[in-house]
Amino acid sequence: MPKHYRPAGKKKEGNAARYMTRSQALKHLQVNLNLFRRLCIVKGIFPREPKKKVKGNHHTYYHVKDIAFLQHEPLLEKFREIRTYQKKVIKAKAKKNEELARILLTRQPTYKLDRLIRERYPTFIDALRDLDDCLTMVHLFAVLPASDREKLEVKRVHNCRKLSHEWQAYISRNHALRKVFVSVKGIYYQAELEGQKITWLTPHAIQQVFTNDVDFGVMLTFLEFYETLLAFINFKLYHSMNVKYPPILDSRLEALAADLYALSRYIDASSRGMSVEPKVDASSSSQSNGREESELRLAQLQHQLPSSEPGALMHLVADKEVEEDEDTKMCKSLFKDLKFFLSREVPRESLLFVIPAFGGMVSWEGEGAPFKEDDESITHHIIDKPNSGHMYLSREYVQPQWIYDCVNALIILPTEKYLVGRELPPHLSPFVDNEAEGYVPDYAETIKRLQAAARNDVLPLPGVGKDDLEDPQNLLYAGVMSRAEEAEAARTRKKMEELEKQYHEELKMELTGSAGEESESEDDEAKTQIPEESEAGAAVSQIAEDVAAMPRLLMSRKARGLYDAMKMGDERKNETVERLERRRRILKNAQ
Amino acid sequence: MAPTKKGEAARETKRKRGSVNSQKPEPAVKEVKPVEKEVKSLKEEDLLLDSGTDSDYDGDSLSGSLNSDDFDSDIFDSEDDGSQRDTEDGERESLGDKDHGHEGSVGNDDNGDESEQVDSEDGMEDGSDEGSEQGEVAEESDSSEDEVAPRNTVGNVPLKWYENEKHIGYDINGMKITKKELRDKLDSFLASMDDKKNWRQILDEYNDEEVEVTKEEQMLIRRLLKGEAPHADFDPYPTYVDWFKWDDAIHPLSSAPEPKRRFLPSKWEAKIVLKYVRAIRKGLIKFDKPEEEPKVYDLWGDSTSDQKNKHLTYIPPPKLKMPGHEESYNPSLEYIPTEEEKASYELMYEEDRPKFIPKRFTSLRSIPAYGNALNELFDRCLDLYLCPRVRKKRINIDPESLKPKLPSRKDLRPYPNSCYLEYKGHTGKVTTISTECSGQWIASGSTDGSVRIWEVETGRCVKTWQFDEAVKRVAWNPHSDFSILAVAMGRDLVILNTELGTDEQQENIKELLQLGNVPEPKASVAAIASWLPDEKNGGIIIRHFKNISSIDWHRKGDYLSTVMASGETRGVVIHQISKKLTQKPFKIRGLPVTALFHPSRSYFFIATRKNVRVYNLLKVEEPVKKLETGMREISSMAIHPGGDNLIVGSKEGKMCWFDMDLSSKPYKTLKNHPKDITNVAYHRSYPLFASSSEDSTAYVFHGKVYNDLNENPLIVPLEILRGHSTSSNGGGVLDCKFHPRQPWLFTAGADSIIKLYCH
Repeated sequence: MPKHYRPAGKKKEGNAARYMTRSQALKHLQVNLNLFRRLCIVKGIFPREPKKKVKGNHHTYYHVKDIAFLQHEPLLEKFREIRTYQKKVIKAKAKKNEELARILLTRQPTYKLDRLIRERYPTFIDALRDLDDCLTMVHLFAVLPASDREKLEVKRVHNCRKLSHEWQAYISRNHALRKVFVSVKGIYYQAELEGQKITWLTPHAIQQVFTNDVDFGVMLTFLEFYETLLAFINFKLYHSMNVKYPPILDSRLEALAADLYALSRYIDASSRGMSVEPKVDASSSSQSNGREESELRLAQLQHQLPSSEPGALMHLVADKEVEEDEDTKMCKSLFKDLKFFLSREVPRESLLFVIPAFGGMVSWEGEGAPFKEDDESITHHIIDKPNSGHMYLSREYVQPQWIYDCVNALIILPTEKYLVGRELPPHLSPFVDNEAEGYVPDYAETIKRLQAAARNDVLPLPGVGKDDLEDPQNLLYAGVMSRAEEAEAARTRKKMEELEKQYHEELKMELTGSAGEESESEDDEAKTQIPEESEAGAAVSQIAEDVAAMPRLLMSRKARGLYDAMKMGDERKNETVERLERRRRILKNAQ
Repeated sequence: MAPTKKGEAARETKRKRGSVNSQKPEPAVKEVKPVEKEVKSLKEEDLLLDSGTDSDYDGDSLSGSLNSDDFDSDIFDSEDDGSQRDTEDGERESLGDKDHGHEGSVGNDDNGDESEQVDSEDGMEDGSDEGSEQGEVAEESDSSEDEVAPRNTVGNVPLKWYENEKHIGYDINGMKITKKELRDKLDSFLASMDDKKNWRQILDEYNDEEVEVTKEEQMLIRRLLKGEAPHADFDPYPTYVDWFKWDDAIHPLSSAPEPKRRFLPSKWEAKIVLKYVRAIRKGLIKFDKPEEEPKVYDLWGDSTSDQKNKHLTYIPPPKLKMPGHEESYNPSLEYIPTEEEKASYELMYEEDRPKFIPKRFTSLRSIPAYGNALNELFDRCLDLYLCPRVRKKRINIDPESLKPKLPSRKDLRPYPNSCYLEYKGHTGKVTTISTECSGQWIASGSTDGSVRIWEVETGRCVKTWQFDEAVKRVAWNPHSDFSILAVAMGRDLVILNTELGTDEQQENIKELLQLGNVPEPKASVAAIASWLPDEKNGGIIIRHFKNISSIDWHRKGDYLSTVMASGETRGVVIHQISKKLTQKPFKIRGLPVTALFHPSRSYFFIATRKNVRVYNLLKVEEPVKKLETGMREISSMAIHPGGDNLIVGSKEGKMCWFDMDLSSKPYKTLKNHPKDITNVAYHRSYPLFASSSEDSTAYVFHGKVYNDLNENPLIVPLEILRGHSTSSNGGGVLDCKFHPRQPWLFTAGADSIIKLYCH
């Protein structure tokens, strides 16, 4: 008799009825593992963790409802259809009927994923929330070399590239970018759209290499879904700007690998066209012909415009935008009235994305650039290599890190440390909450002070009183209210800690005092027990420890486990902080 | 449109020239060339030139040939390219060319050598001239190269044979052809940079010379690459010219009559047509392409139709961890591990090794590609579709807030907290102590076989008895009139007269301890215990069949229970001192460990290894209650003076508080000792209880029991009493007892000292 014997006629219950293993699911759905994987990936179905694993610990369990959900998926039928169709093609080929095979191949059944996207992300915000992985993947595949072996077609790489550029153009144009971080792995960007923080990683613009220990089939299935998702999202975003999607780009700029610039010009042109259109009555015949035609024409017109005045175009549209939140305004005006010129060796794509996102104007060395190097109004020249030909006195030559640091600090940092040829200050991650981590790098302190100074000059906030402004601690957080609140909380915490410490001190004092009193009052026998000074200290610390440990006795086992785990985590954190501080001390001593 | 027109124009001029038999081609070249600069027009130009020179030759050498011949030579003769190039290059060349053209027949044999060595193109041209002079024979071949003898005559041998020689082969006369000086790379590079036409030059290794590809040849190559006919003006699909003269034919080719099938419509064709028709009707064949739906559209346009998700709740994938400072390309220096630390990583297990080692790059352009990008992305993909997702609540609280809020210890005073007295005298471990009910004396027993009585206040040892065996337990009679002591050691239970108290009391005691009229016990009881007089100390010895593990007096001081590690009915017996009677009323499951009388009512508690059973002494057949401790091995037990609460200590260092009105499960379990608990004790009047353990500590707790049944007892740990030596060879506190009236605690240590802790 099996271990869990179920009498005949009695249905399964509980976890046994609610979950099934993967192989059971395969049998149930009558698909092979590859197809099952694809279905799971596109449907977004993942294994579940049953409370009791009926079949054992080494199985993957899926919820029965999830499997039923897959079973009713029309895509399953579609995949089967495709499979049988491919068999037809193979048969035709085997019979040397090339003509039939060709005809069959032209009419292959196709499938669409749009319904699935709607199903998985019922609202636009849902889609934005899960966009991180999508963007990271699309951006990575945009720089991969096409490969026959991995079945990665050139078409798809181009599509990824296109999609990523469209996304970046939108973000840049709407000043939604918030943070940038250049890491060894690539460049992290964080944008904020509709209240969702979207972070993605773009690899450095260097040839990527394929690795063998990666299953490209799985990756390409993911990519297929992500491409579709991003296309729909881009459509929605462009639609919200009143710009036609997919964009028609200037082929000349595209050929020069300045897609981003081309896109931004396209967007500018289209949105301007839209805004102008209602005002002009019937002056131009092209507009009466229909929206699309006028769009096209505008795009074409745009191409013929002299390339030296993108800024002028920008201002035209910038004026009419009204509703923007505080952050966007700050981001938008960061590089206002600054003109940048990129040298050859700096990461152009990244900077072309970042600088306009923060309101700056940018040009680069090469054809199709909006303005040339000898433009007198250029304020900053971004350069990475120390030697350069002619140095203009009217501009500052800074290294690209300056841009990223300015963006993260949201102020214009002084350029002395970033001038070309200087050793750069450290580039710090904007995603770290230094206070929570417990370790604040020196340069973060410096930036904070600069921020505080800048805020003091520019905008004393209405909500903050004068005393608070004078307090340098508070000033640091003056700009962002949440930050200020955090600081407040931290300070109260600190105060509490101090109070507690004081209490402990008192306790110790008391204990030693009482011990002393007793010893004085007792007779000879007791005198032998008078501990010596050092012993007393040890005893006192022991007592303090005991006192601290007392409440632990009364905790439930669960709470005690939790408490211990938390303590362990804290300890680990303290350890890393201590290590960092030790290294910093050593470095300082070495200097 | 323009180029074709131009082409036509060129052809026009060609025809004209052909007909006119032009005298001076050079001026025509000069006229056209400077004007036309673009490549496309140049092509036509070349054609024009071609035809010009060609016709020139024809005029010179083969004036009598056919028109078609002219056409053919134009197409197939590539030697013309040479001449064309020459004309382009300069006047001198063209002049030379002209010379060749004129003197062809004369100079070919004579100075062939020279010219060939100087310029192969010239040679080729010579050959071609020759060919053209020889007539149509040469036209058969497509390539002039075949006809022109190469400069080098070594034949088809590997060139590496001549690698180390100074010559590359032999010319037609058998003379060595010396190698050209090799230019060094820099020079050749500079030359190539200077000369814009350099890219057209190809090194002919076999003949060791630079061959320049002419424009015409370029066009030819380009066309070949496209898979077209090599010459632009070759028409692959000429209109068919029917050369056969049909007018003269009188007889048909075949005299057979025309077959019938020529006039009848074909059945098979009809069938096929029918098939198609049917297919069209069925809609299998469609002529108009299906309308292409837009690939992307506003998917979230109709946000109103927000249908409810019917399937399981979607758990969004957790976001990736944000990069910290250490992942920066240019982190602060303190994030970079030192060399020693890096070396220590090597010694670690692979799992423990940090995944990412910070590294510093001085500039953005020096960052290399990240090798693990694909792997990390792939791992993420796997996580997304293979990892079970569970919603977990992240607790973001201060760990200190988890600790229960305890009342201040100050408010719970008095309680014993510091050692006040030590009672020294025993030589072995002090295993047991007992307080007299007045609180003036304590008795202690030790492994050295001695039982001592001490005065509490002074620490003076009043009395000592020496026995042969190690003392297991001592217990004062709780009745104040009878200051007698029960001492358990081995199998014997000795009732001792302590000789404290007034004379009248002594009288009573002596009377009590007389064993004169012992009733005859039942056989079953006699097997368990036998009453014997103790001549040495003037008391009674009750000898049991097994070692005694615990004893307890009834509150009235007449009954005394002893516990032995034996099952069934023999484990716990109750002796009545006044009647010298022994009973074994309880039927016990398992081995009893310890037993207690209820402080006020007629109940009896027996602790076996895991459970505590409560018996009603008036009705002892079945236990009234069973308390489940959930502990592995009970070592001790104490009852609250109120009688409703019980603490049980275990050998795993846990202590249970039972509220017997509440439940048969522990109200609270405290894990306070790392080692075995040896004894637990309640204070008789103060809300205090204590536990002692083999880890050399004793805990004092505040344990307040409220009269209100709704309120749970309050338990607060107060103090950890240390002081007994923590020697490794079986140290520890073996017993603890409270003073009956004062909040003082006595502890008996394995270091043969008894300590008194006061408030």
